[in-house]
Amino acid sequence: METGVARVISLSPARHRDDVLTGAGLLPVLPALRELLPGGGLQRGSVVTTGDWGLLSLALAAGAVADGAWCAIVGVPAAGVRAAAQAGLDPERVLLVAEPGPSWAQVVASLLDGFDIVLLRLPDQPSAQLRRKLEAAARRYGSVLVVAGDWPGAQSRLLVADAEWTGIGAGHGRLRARKAQVIASGRGAGERTRSAWLWLPGPDGAVTAAAEPAGVAGTGPHGGYSGTAEPLVSSG
Amino acid sequence: MTGHAAAGRRVLVLRCPAWLDSDSASSGNVSSGSASSGNDRADSDGAGGDSAAARAFESVVAVVEDFCPQVEVLRPGVCAIATRGPARYFGGEAELARKLTEAVGRSGVICQAGIADGLFAAGLAARAGPTGLLVPPGETPEFLAGLPVGVLDMPELCELLPRLGIETLGQLAALRPAEAASRFGPPGKLASRLARGLDPRPLIPRPPAADLSVQLEFDPPAEQSEPAIFAAKALADQMHDQLAAAGLACVRVQVQVRCADGQELSRLWRHDGLLSALAVAERVRWQLDGWRGTAGIILLRLVPDQLVRATGRQLALWGDSVPSDRVARAAIRVQAMLGHDRVTRPVMAGGRRPADQVLLVPFGDTGVPQRPADRPWPDQIPAPAPATVFGVPLAASVTDGSDREVTVSGRAQLSAPPARLSADGSPARAITAWAGPWPVTERWWDPRHGRRQARFQLVTEDGAAWLAALQDGRWLIEARYD
Repeated sequence: METGVARVISLSPARHRDDVLTGAGLLPVLPALRELLPGGGLQRGSVVTTGDWGLLSLALAAGAVADGAWCAIVGVPAAGVRAAAQAGLDPERVLLVAEPGPSWAQVVASLLDGFDIVLLRLPDQPSAQLRRKLEAAARRYGSVLVVAGDWPGAQSRLLVADAEWTGIGAGHGRLRARKAQVIASGRGAGERTRSAWLWLPGPDGAVTAAAEPAGVAGTGPHGGYSGTAEPLVSSG
Repeated sequence: MTGHAAAGRRVLVLRCPAWLDSDSASSGNVSSGSASSGNDRADSDGAGGDSAAARAFESVVAVVEDFCPQVEVLRPGVCAIATRGPARYFGGEAELARKLTEAVGRSGVICQAGIADGLFAAGLAARAGPTGLLVPPGETPEFLAGLPVGVLDMPELCELLPRLGIETLGQLAALRPAEAASRFGPPGKLASRLARGLDPRPLIPRPPAADLSVQLEFDPPAEQSEPAIFAAKALADQMHDQLAAAGLACVRVQVQVRCADGQELSRLWRHDGLLSALAVAERVRWQLDGWRGTAGIILLRLVPDQLVRATGRQLALWGDSVPSDRVARAAIRVQAMLGHDRVTRPVMAGGRRPADQVLLVPFGDTGVPQRPADRPWPDQIPAPAPATVFGVPLAASVTDGSDREVTVSGRAQLSAPPARLSADGSPARAITAWAGPWPVTERWWDPRHGRRQARFQLVTEDGAAWLAALQDGRWLIEARYD
């Protein structure tokens, strides 16, 4: 419905920024994620990648949404809404576009003008031209595009480098928590690599800071951690 | 909230031209400038006009009520009844129509009656010819097929369709319904239903006696549309409060705007779902945007139209999270691209399976989960919840150390510990930890939706964790913890 699109777009000659969070151009994130991001938050107008789709993508949006932002999730028909809620991402402020179709880039561009944060799982690898277009849209509207997938030119790249489930054994217990090391690298030579150990998720589904496993030297991408599973509660 | 009245439901529509200032209300055209000059309109003095007309029309409705106690007033001048009972009593549909028009005629009102399958077709049948038309049962699709798409109550669509070569309802009906819905959004879906002779909703009995419209006067006149749109939201809230107090909700609303120079712009807005306050305000925005009035706005009036019984707490559902204009605009824009149903908001619901625990409601609609989330659901998997939940579970294979499929006996005994998992045809991965089986018997009383399962959690060598289930001898992956 081409005319419909053109018409609706023309409805917003002057955008209303009344609902936009003010602040130093940063969207807040959960405390556990702060040290992974330069400035301790998501830079408005930036693109952040999270490797494969997972709880990390949802958790990245949780802090901003708790602060009043709106989040759109694009291209993830299987998004776990309950997991999102447990991680602190209020489903009431979430819009799902599970199947954005072949013109998904246009869908994302439209959502960037309206939603403070857009989580996208790439349906296909976009051309450099398309990427630049979406980067420009994020900059223009001051939104953050969080991409599950590969995005050359992203300002920050987060990656779950190491993860271990606890609470479950060979035929006993259950999945209780996952201790994960997340590595973040920035663009450019000056940007240092950051790292944090997280409960991703913790026993109640929340994403919180975890203690560095004992015996790990440094915080390199592969710290050599080979500890055994440690049940948080006695399994039963 | 779309009604699923089956085709074949016989409806009589009675139409009194005296109350209809022009056909604009039924064809959906913008009646800018002509409305309040009033052609045949009994009372054209503006704001109070419609409710005055509605009150006068009550005398006609009273006559119709003698034939059938359940009368639905579509708007002043048009009402409908289901013919099944009365036709039997009065000796057939033709006889019913004749007696009814005569009785109304005796009260000094000229009217037309149309009978067809469904409200939409019956309304058109009433307008066919000077006295109306009786479309025999089953012939409604043929009757509709020859009519131009302009008879649909959808201005944008009626403009668009002929440009695509779709001139008649028959051509529209020939499109696959899913295609119509995806190409033209909710109006397309509705239009497709109507063109095929289906009702968009069931007929609701009897209008409320009280005037449920709300209005706001602007003094001084509002020179721009923004204040009117802002006011529309508050007005819509007020309208919904009144409706809610009467146990009603509306699926169509008439938005009337009057200007300082006497111009009036009136449009009916229908929505596939229920119209939220925000949805109403958005439609006021569209209406004003498409209109280049020169004088300021002096009056905004919302008239709820096509009432349905309120089914619950639909207005409170979104709680505090009412989308801002900017968010709503972006969402609606994407709906215009992809179709109404493909842009959704999640609502937590109850259920044992992760995929049952979320209801997806199209943006702008309201939905109340059938299975409330805030009740204990036994057998629900404890936190943490999986971050990936497959709406349709993935086929999987779980084998033991000697490559035999793992099975579970009726008494929850495993044939052997699971050793390898292959999900959705991918290469098998070694299982490093597992737990289960947890038997689940869901809705055992219901043979159609009942489900017996043994559930497992599996961790594979790559660090991934899975929620798996063995059901009817088949392994399924319901969710992934990632």
